Amino acid sequence: MSSHSIQANRQLDYPPIIWRLSLLDEILTSPLVFVGGKGGVGKTTTASALALIAADRGSRCLLVSTDPAHSLADLFGQPIGNTETAIAAGLWALEIDPDRQADTHLAAVKARMKRLVHPRSYSEIDRQLSFARHAPGTMEAAMLERVAEVMAMAPSTYDHIIFDTAPTGHTIRLLSLPEIMAAWTDGLLSHRKKSERLSSALRHLGGGKVRGDDLSLIDAATDHKDGSRDAEINELLQARRRKLVQAREQLLDRTITSFMLVLNPDRLSLLETMKACNTLTEFSIPLAGLVVNRVLPENADGSFIKNRRQQEAHYLEDIERVFGHLPKVRVSLQPGDVHDINALRRIGQIITRGETFT
Amino acid sequence: MDKICTYFGRFKELLEEFYVSPYRGAVARARRDEDDLFMLFVFGELMGVPNPATYYTLELQPLLLERFHDWHRRQGFEHSPLDGFRCC
Repeated sequence: MSSHSIQANRQLDYPPIIWRLSLLDEILTSPLVFVGGKGGVGKTTTASALALIAADRGSRCLLVSTDPAHSLADLFGQPIGNTETAIAAGLWALEIDPDRQADTHLAAVKARMKRLVHPRSYSEIDRQLSFARHAPGTMEAAMLERVAEVMAMAPSTYDHIIFDTAPTGHTIRLLSLPEIMAAWTDGLLSHRKKSERLSSALRHLGGGKVRGDDLSLIDAATDHKDGSRDAEINELLQARRRKLVQAREQLLDRTITSFMLVLNPDRLSLLETMKACNTLTEFSIPLAGLVVNRVLPENADGSFIKNRRQQEAHYLEDIERVFGHLPKVRVSLQPGDVHDINALRRIGQIITRGETFT
Repeated sequence: MDKICTYFGRFKELLEEFYVSPYRGAVARARRDEDDLFMLFVFGELMGVPNPATYYTLELQPLLLERFHDWHRRQGFEHSPLDGFRCC
């Protein structure tokens, strides 16, 4: 308990306004901003409000939803979908559809395969690929591919790209994928390299003369001029790797990516944020700050609210204690739904002013 | 003289072959094993070996299709283990 109050005192040494400005400043100077948090804490609202602030200040801004249950279209009251759609001056929105992405990818693979096999196998190829289409991990990989492509559009096409992400678990998985997948492609490439070294050794030994002992693969491989097939395989793997490594580098670069978490002053939200914070650290993704959303406003009254506020104060204290080192913005609970651009701009003003309820 | 040269040339070739061929076989086998392993990474999922990156290795499958038949034979499957690829 004593360490608790020492922590709290230490926090009070800093003028609160500076943290708040620094969070917004950091976000408004980052080409890539990820807004994460538990389901229902207000990620979409926060991401949209931030995107509007940036657009209103004259930046070209893209707001991207990676949550399969998209709600940007509902929030802005207009259809958005899988292509970049203008929703305000300087602001575009995109709802990534991993199904469409996976379909396109598989259609390309299918077309290549059909060029190589007898037409009687076409239906079997269709069947085989439809299994792959529904295999676990396909959606994730398709989503990652699209997110990596979108990330590459900053800062050339857009000054800021703000991601309204799926609930924390999914997002952290998504962000950790580039590292895992790059390691996987590295592994494949290392096998290719070893095979190439052996091929060149084989050429020096007069490779064409191998007979018997079922070494037919050698002949099959040397049939292609200059190993063009091998070159193609390597090229595909390298292209894959480049994409993943670039995404990974962008994610780890503090000057490029800001990751922020939204939470509510309640127990479950706090616990999940702590877990998310640990996982982010594990993958060395820096956390820029927190938005503490739906804090009861001071002017709310009644004995019911008084009880709630007491409980809330306890959690706000915990948040301060656990995340004392991070910049935070408090956004108070609004009297009505936030469901249009004007309401979002009001939230934006609250974030800009760093409004507190105290 | 020419005849002697041809004779020695032939002798040299034979000698080279004598020393080099065991290595050639070994290197060829090593390479084949390496490529077989790579095939397993790409087609393993379809044989029940979990692959964490099916989505990414799928695009390699068309490029490896020609080698598929020899590979599955070597892995001890008389016929294609996949319903999808009836190569034999």
